[in-house]
Amino acid sequence: MLIELRGGRIIDPAHNRDGVGDLFIEDGRIIAAPEGRTPDEVYDVTGKIVMAGAVDMHSHIAGSNVTLARQLMPELPMLAAQGGQPIPASPASWGAYATGIRYAEMGYTTVIEPAMIPTHAIEAQVELASIPIIDVAGLVILGNDDYTLELLRDGRGGGDELKDYVAWTLHHSKAIGLKVINAGGSEAFKFNDRKFGLDDEVPDYGVSSRAIVEAMQTAVAGLGIPHPPHVHCNNLGIAGNVETAVATLEATQGLPIHFAHIQFYGYGDGGDRGFSSGAPGLMEAVNKHKNATVDVGQVMFGQTVTISGDILRQFDGRRAANPKKWAINQGEGNGTGVVPYHYKKKSFVNALQWAIGLEIFLMAEDPWRVLFSTDHPNGALFVRYPEIFHLLMDKDERARWLDDLPDAAREVSNLAEITRELTLSELAIITRAAPAKLMGLTDRGHLAPGAIADIAVYTEQKNKTAMFSAADLVFKSGSLVVRNGKVVSVTYGRCYHVEPGFDAQIEKRVKTFYDRYYGADPSWFGVTDAVTHRRDRFATIPMPR
Amino acid sequence: MAKAKARGREAELDSALERAADLLGRARFPIFGGLFTDIAGAAAALSLAETLGGVFDHASSAGLMRASKVMRETGATPASFGEVRNRADTVVVIGKGPLTRDPDLLDKLFPAKPGLPRPGDNKRELILLGADNTKTDNPKTPKGLRTTAIDGKSPLPELVALLAASLREGRFDLRDKALRTEIDETAARLRKSAFAVFVYDPAELEEPVLHTVLEMVRHLVLTTRAAILTTAASGNGDGVNLCSTWTCGLPVRTSFAGAVPQHDAWAYDTDRLLKSGEADALVWIDALAGESAVRPKGVSAVVLSANPGGAGKDDIVIEVASAAGDHDAALYLSPISGIGMVKAAKANKDKPTVAAALTRIAELIDERRAA
Repeated sequence: MLIELRGGRIIDPAHNRDGVGDLFIEDGRIIAAPEGRTPDEVYDVTGKIVMAGAVDMHSHIAGSNVTLARQLMPELPMLAAQGGQPIPASPASWGAYATGIRYAEMGYTTVIEPAMIPTHAIEAQVELASIPIIDVAGLVILGNDDYTLELLRDGRGGGDELKDYVAWTLHHSKAIGLKVINAGGSEAFKFNDRKFGLDDEVPDYGVSSRAIVEAMQTAVAGLGIPHPPHVHCNNLGIAGNVETAVATLEATQGLPIHFAHIQFYGYGDGGDRGFSSGAPGLMEAVNKHKNATVDVGQVMFGQTVTISGDILRQFDGRRAANPKKWAINQGEGNGTGVVPYHYKKKSFVNALQWAIGLEIFLMAEDPWRVLFSTDHPNGALFVRYPEIFHLLMDKDERARWLDDLPDAAREVSNLAEITRELTLSELAIITRAAPAKLMGLTDRGHLAPGAIADIAVYTEQKNKTAMFSAADLVFKSGSLVVRNGKVVSVTYGRCYHVEPGFDAQIEKRVKTFYDRYYGADPSWFGVTDAVTHRRDRFATIPMPR
Repeated sequence: MAKAKARGREAELDSALERAADLLGRARFPIFGGLFTDIAGAAAALSLAETLGGVFDHASSAGLMRASKVMRETGATPASFGEVRNRADTVVVIGKGPLTRDPDLLDKLFPAKPGLPRPGDNKRELILLGADNTKTDNPKTPKGLRTTAIDGKSPLPELVALLAASLREGRFDLRDKALRTEIDETAARLRKSAFAVFVYDPAELEEPVLHTVLEMVRHLVLTTRAAILTTAASGNGDGVNLCSTWTCGLPVRTSFAGAVPQHDAWAYDTDRLLKSGEADALVWIDALAGESAVRPKGVSAVVLSANPGGAGKDDIVIEVASAAGDHDAALYLSPISGIGMVKAAKANKDKPTVAAALTRIAELIDERRAA
């Protein structure tokens, strides 16, 4: 069936396009204007904004860590709704089904789950498969696991064995990339260390965080995996940690690297309260290191829950739990820490966190390297995205919010002086084109012929919150799934992953390792097509080499 | 002949599915109980329960309910089985449940070969609190492992409370001087442990006891590492509970009768709903290799069972494949403290899986409603 979207303003920054035109869809893909054919369906989108479906590159939506949070905090949607957040007051609102529905309504068509635990990859993939409409992919976590640490301790980290192990782990969990969370820090926590910096060493292994990150960068680059190591640095959330982030950036040796939710590392220790914006220094370093990309991890005020494989940090953060309860799951590798948190507008620290995130977005010289995220649900629930787009695109809206913040926070923030407003094209870069490119999902995030027909159509409005809360139309793989902000057809998408290939010897070694230390067989947690009954659920992405 | 037999079985299956759809399509408040099934079966049952406005409850809910309630109230500090096996220097087994449920547990937790690097330099030690294996048929402790068995004449909740009090070095009186010494020595050992773990079966301990154990962990983690390790519920209870949680945000014993799902461990207990007459239909699912759910008596049901021999004459029986017996199955596996995949013991595609049977019933109900 040939579908035409006629007369919309097409915003496709991947191809420097911002102008009125038509789009054609056939067999789930965007095609060039066909000559001499009459479309079977025409949607008149005159005056509307047409963008590629949005791609969320870092959102905790599935897996044993997320479900641990659901077990701890079933009341989260009710508390969030009571506080005025745009979420139905039902525990089901953060279940798998509602997740896909709400994402689609906002025009999102692909979401990356950034923290699959290797031994729990089956749960992550089963959960992901129960989320409707959106396509997904997962990042798998290494760097605190004993197999990696053993290799590095024994000086075998630079050779093929680590590469093979990374490749096997990606294959075994059907992941699209590698996540490294507080490299070495979660393992050190298991030895009762409660602080861990870039050059601290994991007890008994004698391996530093810096060495782990470097080894993973080398392995991933050597394997030719499109997405670079996705790194959650040490010292998250601590005043003065901007120095750690800058030092980690300096240590990247020019190899590609992605830093997750850097807002949580944008903290200086200046001012009377020893907490200030480190955004200028951080962004100077980010702007300088062209090999690095970041996502922001914007904070919004209201109730949420934090979920992280950084159990050292989460353990420390338990003191600020609100409501007063927390869960630390000490599992293989990183484990998981869950701490409920309420960001308050009247809190000096929270207000500054909110401002620092926006400063980072607005100080970015290259939007292709500074991508959108709230680290859902850590900085804010993903249902808040439209409000953040509004803040980024409208300086008056920012001023209104700033007026409500504590004076002390405004005084140590640079936000009031920033007049930049993101354009629709820039928004399309940070929410579509750049994340798709960075993940190696070359068939999306743009609107050129051949791209998957994931398309979102919006009515342009000054109120960007309203504009992006409800897409007029959303097409997923060429099928109309949303009309007037509501889902009209429930479909199920695909899961994308890499297959870098590895020497089969690694399977034997890993099997021996798990048998000896865990009394377990890796086949128990290996993801196969059988984890879901949907045919063609899994698809590999092309490797550039 | 074989073909005729197969056709006969197929016709019988179709008829049972049709009758099940008729009954459930008319039901006002059905229960999906038993739920000894794999993740796919649980997901299909949840979906149908949501469609019909029914209740979703597992036959091994009792412990799961307590553990999840305590978790919602104050949190939890679990460790994976692998972490305990490799790194715990002090393991306290509370009650008889853990060793009854898994007679090989101690061998698994204390393997002969050295494990991964672990914190501290204490020798590994086992404490059996109200779990004395010398007085039962339980297996002996591994050779060379220093073991302290504390039983006394006190009931288990009291032993746990005494240990908690001693751990905090609080003042308390105890006439049994020998017990007092054992408790104090154990508390001292816990305080100097590098990684202490309490192992228990939530089905054996009442809520206040669970809180007391978690309080001990929260006290210990102020200065050292500590955690809990709970015995998994039978019948893939933990797996089904997780599936319920990621689907609707709530654990098992949840009702979908209202505008939003509602969890209530008392109100949505299968036995209570049947006795009170609130539920008007029961779907009983019992299809795991090597395990069998205890079915409520005196109530007819739509029975999805891998061994339907005991079904009554008023039941609608759908013989299904057994998870991990006849087909590969995603189940909660204790050694990885999570959901893993178990291969079929002997693949058999003659019978439908629970998921397939329930999906077909859902389709039939949809067709009837659309007509």
